[in-house]
Amino acid sequence: MTDSASYRISHRTDYRYESAVAICQNQLRMMPHSIDSPCLSMNCHQAETKITPEPTFVEHHFDYFGNQVTSFSIELLHRELTVNVVSEVTVSRKQSVMKLDSPPWEMVRQRISSGENPGWLEAQEYLHDSPRIMRSQAFAQYAAPSFPPGRPILQATLDLTKRIHQDFRYDSAATDVNTATDAAFALKAGVCQDFAHVQIACLRSIGIPARYVSGYLRTIPLEGQPRLVGADESHAWISVYAGEKWGWVSFDPTNACVSEINHIPICIGRDYSEVSPMRGVVIGGGSTKLSVSVDVAPISL
Amino acid sequence: MPSGDQYDECRAADGTVRPAWKSLISSLDDLGPAGISKASHEIERLVRESGANFQFADIIKRSARPWKLAAIPLVLDAQKWQLLEAGLQQRVRLLEAILGDLLGEQKLLKAKVLPAELLSANHNYYRVYHELPQTKLRLDVTATDLARDKDGTWWVTGDRTRAPSGLGYALENRIITSRVFQKLLRGNNVVRVASFFSALRQHLNSLAAGSPENPRVAILTPGQHSYRYIEDAYLARYLGYTMVQGRDLAVRGGKLNLKTLGGLLPIDVLCRHISDRKSDPLELNPSSQQGATGLLQTIRSGNVAVANSIGSTLAQMPALMPFLPAASKFLFGEEPSLPSIGTYWCGGQSERAFVLEHLDELILRPAFYVSSEPPISPDEMTAAEKSDLVDQIKAQPHNFVAQHRPSRSSTPVWHEGKLESWHVALRSFQVQTADGVEVMPGGLARVSPDPRTLDQSPTSGRLGLDCWIANDKPVDHEVTLLKQSHAPINLVRGGAEMPSRVGESLFWLGRSAERSESIARLLRATLIRIAGETQLEDIVELPRMVAALAALGQLEPDHAIAGLGEKLPSLEKVLPESLFDAEKLGGLLAGIRDMGEKAMSVHDRVSLDAYRIIKKIGDHLVRDNHSDATDIAAVINRLDGIITDLQAFSGLVIESMTRTHGWRFLQLGRRIERAYQTAELLSAMLVNPIEDESPVLESVLQTTDSMMTYRSRYLLQMQPTAVIDLLVNDETNPRSIMYQLLMIDQHVRELPSDHHEVGLGPDEKMARKLLHCVTMDDPAELSHANARGVRVSLNELLTKLTNELPDLSDAITARYLIHTGATVELTGRIDPIASRPGSAGSGAIIPKLPNVE
Repeated sequence: MTDSASYRISHRTDYRYESAVAICQNQLRMMPHSIDSPCLSMNCHQAETKITPEPTFVEHHFDYFGNQVTSFSIELLHRELTVNVVSEVTVSRKQSVMKLDSPPWEMVRQRISSGENPGWLEAQEYLHDSPRIMRSQAFAQYAAPSFPPGRPILQATLDLTKRIHQDFRYDSAATDVNTATDAAFALKAGVCQDFAHVQIACLRSIGIPARYVSGYLRTIPLEGQPRLVGADESHAWISVYAGEKWGWVSFDPTNACVSEINHIPICIGRDYSEVSPMRGVVIGGGSTKLSVSVDVAPISL
Repeated sequence: MPSGDQYDECRAADGTVRPAWKSLISSLDDLGPAGISKASHEIERLVRESGANFQFADIIKRSARPWKLAAIPLVLDAQKWQLLEAGLQQRVRLLEAILGDLLGEQKLLKAKVLPAELLSANHNYYRVYHELPQTKLRLDVTATDLARDKDGTWWVTGDRTRAPSGLGYALENRIITSRVFQKLLRGNNVVRVASFFSALRQHLNSLAAGSPENPRVAILTPGQHSYRYIEDAYLARYLGYTMVQGRDLAVRGGKLNLKTLGGLLPIDVLCRHISDRKSDPLELNPSSQQGATGLLQTIRSGNVAVANSIGSTLAQMPALMPFLPAASKFLFGEEPSLPSIGTYWCGGQSERAFVLEHLDELILRPAFYVSSEPPISPDEMTAAEKSDLVDQIKAQPHNFVAQHRPSRSSTPVWHEGKLESWHVALRSFQVQTADGVEVMPGGLARVSPDPRTLDQSPTSGRLGLDCWIANDKPVDHEVTLLKQSHAPINLVRGGAEMPSRVGESLFWLGRSAERSESIARLLRATLIRIAGETQLEDIVELPRMVAALAALGQLEPDHAIAGLGEKLPSLEKVLPESLFDAEKLGGLLAGIRDMGEKAMSVHDRVSLDAYRIIKKIGDHLVRDNHSDATDIAAVINRLDGIITDLQAFSGLVIESMTRTHGWRFLQLGRRIERAYQTAELLSAMLVNPIEDESPVLESVLQTTDSMMTYRSRYLLQMQPTAVIDLLVNDETNPRSIMYQLLMIDQHVRELPSDHHEVGLGPDEKMARKLLHCVTMDDPAELSHANARGVRVSLNELLTKLTNELPDLSDAITARYLIHTGATVELTGRIDPIASRPGSAGSGAIIPKLPNVE
């Protein structure tokens, strides 16, 4: 397996409005930026956002979670809006997660609640309920078989990842963007967003910090590997806190795997509500047609 | 009733009057019971008539608690007050520092001085608060709720750091008390509150970026139906700021603007009285209509200063209270001098155990937000309810705090002719400026015979009190320390700065005032005929008048249909009754109620005198218990009063409103309505003339208030042509249709125009066309009846008017006003992942505390 991969990502969003929109105000969370963690790093070589029509106002800032946010408004009548983000990144694996020694899951939990872990303050932020994810006994019970006493946290989390993949049906008709986590859990079906929400709920319900990652998958698989589910669109997976040594490590319940160099992380948050790629308020417009296309092509640099 | 073991504000333990009260008590003795009762009544009257308590008795249903003020103030000794003042200043500085740390470095969490869960488990903590840049101190206006213990020490029962309410009432209490007790106030050397309000204004003005000489400051109110509305309007008026609602605001080009008739005007400082999470539907609660889309971006860009800063709501969470002493030591190395009431955050293990063990001695509140609901009182619960509560606490311990019930002092209250001793709660107000914390000398005091009602919420309690800080020597007439502005002010005229929404309300205020007057006049004219000695069948004009009343919505249409009328209750009974029928959608009561609503929605734009009149008009329609309420003579009297007051209202408008666009919209509404009503009336009365038309003509002249003019011209001769000329064509009669159309044409031309194109706007064209029609019509032709006894030309003209005047009204609102209304459509967040654009989005839900009665 190669240890790094470079991609050219193109994410194009088109809105067509039935009637003219007078003003729209939007926030984008779809720009990659360089990140580094003990297991994985990503280097963003360039990223460009093109918005048509030309926005009246544009501003960039980093949000609370460190995501890059572009706010813009278009203040003239328009019937179409196109946002095209093109970027080039390199994802590098620094450690093979499968081979890592990790502490027992209870120890991770204990060192956070006692504050012995120097990163406890940041980690405990992802222990509690968030707007879209409410912890419950049901999630804890579902997680239990993967978390017997003393099991290393990465092994246990991978096991949970695989079980969700196995027990849940990928079905884009079963849920929509607003489906609650417990509803998707009851249906045992959904899309990447639901899979991620369910796994985060399970982990938090047994006291382990977990967060939501939005990003992309490579579109064409490497030779001999299956095409990943969720390519051609925005994807989502999870990140678990594996103790101070390895920090946050990502898993993809939709594809039953560790997220390494086939995954390109863009934003993190406590759940989907904090990372939605585009949110906006428009005045006018009537009914809206939306089309999204994502292409993630390997490049050599 | 207080039992005697609490602190008595007025008397020491040995019964002697405390020094600060001496002069007040001896003055009250001089006044005697009769004098105090008189002063009480005078205060009640002033409260009733004040703008801050503008209500239509029972006509307008409002949720707002009626504001009441007791005659005897709470008096505090100035020297002891200084100690409390120092404690309050220290507390504001502490809360500011804690908030700054929580939204910044979080040293307090890292060092475990505060539990991390106060943020991480707090549903009220939106991470956006943390990412906003700090451009100013976050807490501008704060309030502290206080209770006095047996030994005389003050305890804090709660903090308000978001947008404390009550400031307006505190001000109004002082203004009214000082009107009634002017000498007393001086004799007691009471510290004045005016300088506090100047400091507040000075501070808010100073927040404007680039320190403009004359910044635009707006008070953002949650809206007409909020409990804050009256107070916000009062404060805006007193401070000279514009009161705005969410839909008056627009973010353009990264700047916050006020939508006005003359276009967008930038706002420098926004004093927001809405909750943090409702302030921006783009980044916070997407379903909120109270804020402005994009507001947070304007803050990030540094283009507007918001007071208090977004996120300041965190500093008032009850869960913070038990940790204040430790935080103070950590941040400043000092103990707070002012203690907080015993509070236990159930998120802590030992605290939780203590709370569960002592449940009956405590009250419970939400840990993370200030609730308007009364606290949970376990000692008033059944065993089953209590065990439910215990389960809830165990399941969600983070969400609860428990508090001891405060011990409260007592103070004299004049109640039903005698002095009683009631429990008192005091809310103090502070403004934090760059130079320090200024505390309002006094505050908002509330009293109740039952201390528990005071614990419920900061607005509960039976009565409000003014609070006097009394000196033993005369108060210096302090030299104002405020910077005087020397720069010449830019003179502004015309009022294009008015929010479009205000223009809209004034337009409809004009229409409903006029409509009410038309109905009242017609009703009076009809009742006068019924009350006369003629048999009803012999009043030839009566069927026509009844038809006109039905057309105006004052009567069921059935009364106007020949033959049906007999089966219905008699007119003698129905007409007087109709005055008080609150269920009726049209008619006089509805018109006057609408007038009140519209006036209410522009509370800061209408003079207090105008309010008093509007209120008085409403009072004429309050049915009292007298049996003769619906007696015809009594009803005619009431109608006389209504008509006089409606005229007083229009006179006041003419005399005292500047000729701004606001006035123009009010007039346009009035003129359009009058032209329309007159056309309706003439259509019902004159299109199908009866044989001897004189009584009908007379009633038309009476109803249109043109009888005097007619008599002075034609004496007793009743001629249809002359009547029609006077009411339709005569441009010198302010009651004629012609006059209305001339005025409409003129007002429409004077409205602001952003059209650069040549020619007239659609509204101008319509107005001009109607004017032209009437100008071309000849009174002789109009009064001519054809072979079948129909006045065809008159009918044509009146039909045209009744059809096209509503269109003109629509054209005016469409051109100037409608963009403030329902067409502004928020489609919420749009999620590209789902194929469901425009779906309602995923705004965070604030979980409610379990409902425990």
